[in-house]
Amino acid sequence: MNNVEHSAKPYWNPYLSGFGLGLVLLASFVIMGRGLGASGAINAFVATAMHQLAPDHVEKSAYYAEYLGDGVHSPLKDWLVFEVLGVFVGGFLSGVLANRLKFRVEKGPRMTNPLRLLFAFIGGALMIIGARLALGCTSGQALTGGSLLNVGSWIFMMCVFGGAYAVAYFFRKQWI
Amino acid sequence: MNAPFYKFGLFGDEASLIIAFVIGIGFGFFLERAGFGSGRKLAAQFYFRDLSVLKVMFTAIITAMTGLYLLSRLGFVDLSLVYLVPTFVVPQIVGGLLLGIGFVIGGYCPGTSCVSSVTGSIDGMVYVAGMIVGLAGFAEVYPSMQSYVQMTPMGQITLARLFNLPYGLLVFAVVLMALAAFAAAEWAEKKVTGTSPDPKGSITGGPWRMTPVRILATGLAAAGFVALIAGDPYRGSHASIDTRDLAIRVGKGVDKVQAAQLADWIIQGRNDFKLVDLRSERDFDAYHIPTAQDLPLASLTPDFAAHNDRIILYSGDGTEAAQAWFLLEAQGFKNVYLLDGGLRAWQTIVLFPQKSAGTDPAVFEKQVEVAKYFGGAPREEGTSPAASVAVALPKLAAPAQPLIPAGNSSNTQPKKKKEGC
Repeated sequence: MNNVEHSAKPYWNPYLSGFGLGLVLLASFVIMGRGLGASGAINAFVATAMHQLAPDHVEKSAYYAEYLGDGVHSPLKDWLVFEVLGVFVGGFLSGVLANRLKFRVEKGPRMTNPLRLLFAFIGGALMIIGARLALGCTSGQALTGGSLLNVGSWIFMMCVFGGAYAVAYFFRKQWI
Repeated sequence: MNAPFYKFGLFGDEASLIIAFVIGIGFGFFLERAGFGSGRKLAAQFYFRDLSVLKVMFTAIITAMTGLYLLSRLGFVDLSLVYLVPTFVVPQIVGGLLLGIGFVIGGYCPGTSCVSSVTGSIDGMVYVAGMIVGLAGFAEVYPSMQSYVQMTPMGQITLARLFNLPYGLLVFAVVLMALAAFAAAEWAEKKVTGTSPDPKGSITGGPWRMTPVRILATGLAAAGFVALIAGDPYRGSHASIDTRDLAIRVGKGVDKVQAAQLADWIIQGRNDFKLVDLRSERDFDAYHIPTAQDLPLASLTPDFAAHNDRIILYSGDGTEAAQAWFLLEAQGFKNVYLLDGGLRAWQTIVLFPQKSAGTDPAVFEKQVEVAKYFGGAPREEGTSPAASVAVALPKLAAPAQPLIPAGNSSNTQPKKKKEGC
């Protein structure tokens, strides 16, 4: 255990990582004419999975209709889905190179594992709903729209930080 | 060279998926490098212990923003072709707050949870499961809130257009704001943790020497200053269109609405489209399709409808409608359709349908009913289409009769709508 901790390389400087991330985003603008995303891929995935599980229900649903499209092309054959697959691969690659692959639960010292996992689940559910309402998450709205001076993205970004700081105190035991 | 490459047709959809994958790898790589696979490090942002989230996010934003500005200003990129997510104020406020609260509870955002789970974080994996279940649940309540998710639409709009300020000035302001936030973040980290920032990795800490971080900050500040004085990044004042996309859609015929289809929509009382008559006021007063509004080609200004409204255009023979269709597409309207065949088709198909040999009697009966609804009548068998058009025209110009059902249709609208549901 200790050996693994020791050999894990330190994180990169935040400004330099941010610069790298910014260049990736810029490349996406120049090559594709669109920015990055993450939550959209989850939409396509859920629509496909639910279509397999409950085809009749999904075909009647107004919500899924826009993801299933014409029914000829799979919603998984989508730009964002492939981009997010790349995110998994890129994250894995960086983790391997820095010796950071390790089964773990991220939490502060005063938090129990089961409660942390429950919170992770609730947080994930809340955020994807928020992202669906806002038409994007920190990637599609904050990063992408932020650098395009998009009005909605800047409103969104302020609300993310505002909402987080407003409730941070109540969840401090989880993290510090 | 013309960029965005994809929008200028340098490669197709299949290739774009490979590019998506490669771009994703870069995205995931830098997220993990920054330490964003760790929920604890991410959440530390909200306790002022480690403000990496702010630093990474805003460095990325100002890098991409100034880079895109410069490339557009140099004429390499057509900025108007970069996709802008439309603004819906209330949903984006509510969504943003939910995301912020969820961030503190869950510890990740959707993108970072991918990086976290793939490097072995179990809470990251559970977070992903939470997203899937949460979204499936949301899909079930979605019908009841469908009208709220599109509240307060503002269309695709930048801060520059909203405040009516030069684009470059806002770029400069955002760069300055970000640099000030970095200095404040370093100060806050020092206050809360009690340790001095690492001189090599910070902008403000330690002796005043040029480090890679300071070179980067200076470079971004310089790029922001160039934006302030270099002028507008958009290409000229002419509107631009995605000709390839346009050609594909024309080829598929998805830009057209059939007369019979339109008649059904009007009878059903559907109000999710704007029907626009492009003929002169006099022609319009003589006869128009019920629910249409009169808008001659010359008075077609970009603000006559929201950019995402569904608009159906028609004119006498379709020429003016086709011209208007092109103009509106160029101005960025997303859902513009032509009434196939124009008012002529409306006359021959809807108002004065003709029974031909192969027509199913039941279908024809319905056609007759529709025709009567709009004040028309079935044509006699054997009349040649050309002759009947000539016959139909004066009939149309004479009475205001077809307008009466229009009033009826708006009266029956709510009832019909409920039936539809």
